[in-house]
Amino acid sequence: MDEFLTIAQASQLIADKKLSPVELTQACLDRVKQQDDVLHAFILPTQERAMSDARAAEARVMAGLSRGKLDGVPIGHKDIYNTAGIRTTGHSKLLEDNVPERDGTVVRKWAEAGTVMMGKLSTHEFAMGGPSFDLPWPPARNPWNPEHFTAGSSSGTGAAVAAGLVLGGTGSDTGGSIRGPAALCGIAGIKPTYGLVSRTGVLPLSFSMDHAGPMAWTVEDCALLLQAMAGHDPSDPASVDRPVADFTVDIGKSVKGLRIGVVRHFFETDNPVSPATLLGINHAMDVFEHLGADVRDVTLSPMADYHACGSIILTSEAYAVHEPWLKTRFNDYGELFRDRLALGGFIRATDYVQALRRRRMLCEELKAAMAGFDILVSASQAAEAPLIAEVPKWSTMETPSLTMPFNLTGYPAMSVCTGFGAGGLPVSMQLIAKPFAEATLFQAGHAYEVAVGTRKRRPSMVLAEAA
Amino acid sequence: MKPSVSEAEFDVMVAQTGLPLSTEQKTTLYDAYWMLEAMIARVNTPMPREAEPGHIFIAEVR
Repeated sequence: MDEFLTIAQASQLIADKKLSPVELTQACLDRVKQQDDVLHAFILPTQERAMSDARAAEARVMAGLSRGKLDGVPIGHKDIYNTAGIRTTGHSKLLEDNVPERDGTVVRKWAEAGTVMMGKLSTHEFAMGGPSFDLPWPPARNPWNPEHFTAGSSSGTGAAVAAGLVLGGTGSDTGGSIRGPAALCGIAGIKPTYGLVSRTGVLPLSFSMDHAGPMAWTVEDCALLLQAMAGHDPSDPASVDRPVADFTVDIGKSVKGLRIGVVRHFFETDNPVSPATLLGINHAMDVFEHLGADVRDVTLSPMADYHACGSIILTSEAYAVHEPWLKTRFNDYGELFRDRLALGGFIRATDYVQALRRRRMLCEELKAAMAGFDILVSASQAAEAPLIAEVPKWSTMETPSLTMPFNLTGYPAMSVCTGFGAGGLPVSMQLIAKPFAEATLFQAGHAYEVAVGTRKRRPSMVLAEAA
Repeated sequence: MKPSVSEAEFDVMVAQTGLPLSTEQKTTLYDAYWMLEAMIARVNTPMPREAEPGHIFIAEVR
């Protein structure tokens, strides 16, 4: 089976009994076998589990007992999601032999939805330190060009989805770790509203900034995956107790009248993006205007304010999580993680509290700015993926992050591919909605993908393997 | 850019953390420390005395 299917396409074919989940899973396993020696998207493929899941899904479908749109769909989990009886490492030597007793909430929910678990996917060490070459497993590589970076920390999920090794996967996003790899790998990825998706059973990095979310080839697929992730979980103190919306309800509807605010200074002056990234965003705004949306610029505080506030909170909270090991097993961490996080030891309590106070002010600013808009637009990444060997140790501090503002504020934000740069690698934009308005993001993102047709092109190395 | 503290002062700060850093690791962190200082300065600009942190919670809920 050479064809690359989206989740929506595969789901329909499975429901119509025109596609066997076993056949689909075998095709994905074949691609893993062909490509993962180069991509390193997987830390641990779980072939036997995948085939067992696929056979069970097929039996359900044939018996008329399908569990829904994800039944029989091959997925992977970032290796910070606990999986019962299956090693969960955080891509770190410190958890090299860690085998959880229970599935994380999202892992359980996706299994209950009938997904086929293909394995555990690479990450930056503990969702922060990467790309690292001094860990027990190599870093994931970008399928569009394996010499280039995937971004992180959900690096394996980005690579695996782009290469068609899985149809979707889990990510986590504390400062941009879903949207960054989605952008550089040319797929879609959404960081949902804080509290929408349970973090129980996901290795923590920063309690107030961590978000769990899905990554997939299309916006629509992200909506399908999020539907099976979201919902109240009393075991997560941040989980919000409110009804889960239908995330696909507005997909396919017109965006006429949608009010779009472009935070132009974020990507033109605060962290100037590449010409291809800028062109992609400007073209997207032309597309939205052509589709009837009302597009205007909007101004927020300098992005460095959001970045500084988020970085201090993130680093402080992560340091608190890791301090015992930092003191006793410092050199068992990879160099990037330990050096980046060690700076947290120099942040005073008062600096952390000041950052929390500033956070509330910035949340209020964003709320006021969004009053007249349905979505905001910015960039997800500043440019195409750099060479993986040339990613600076202090990349997360040298320039303000385009994604951090929405971890700090908790607003839902999604990366959508806008095309390709001069090097043939993907570029992207970021769409942001009001809290719990993910359906609006999916509506706008899907309308853009359909209008522009960016989802037709797959990585060349993948196509070469398939030929 | 240079940090506002000397290397000797930074050594004291490292000792206070209890982290077992080598000389080379201390130098690496010292060279990067100015970036953290810049971020700390940015969140410490004046704000109203009554500005509340983002983590104030509702007792009935939590």
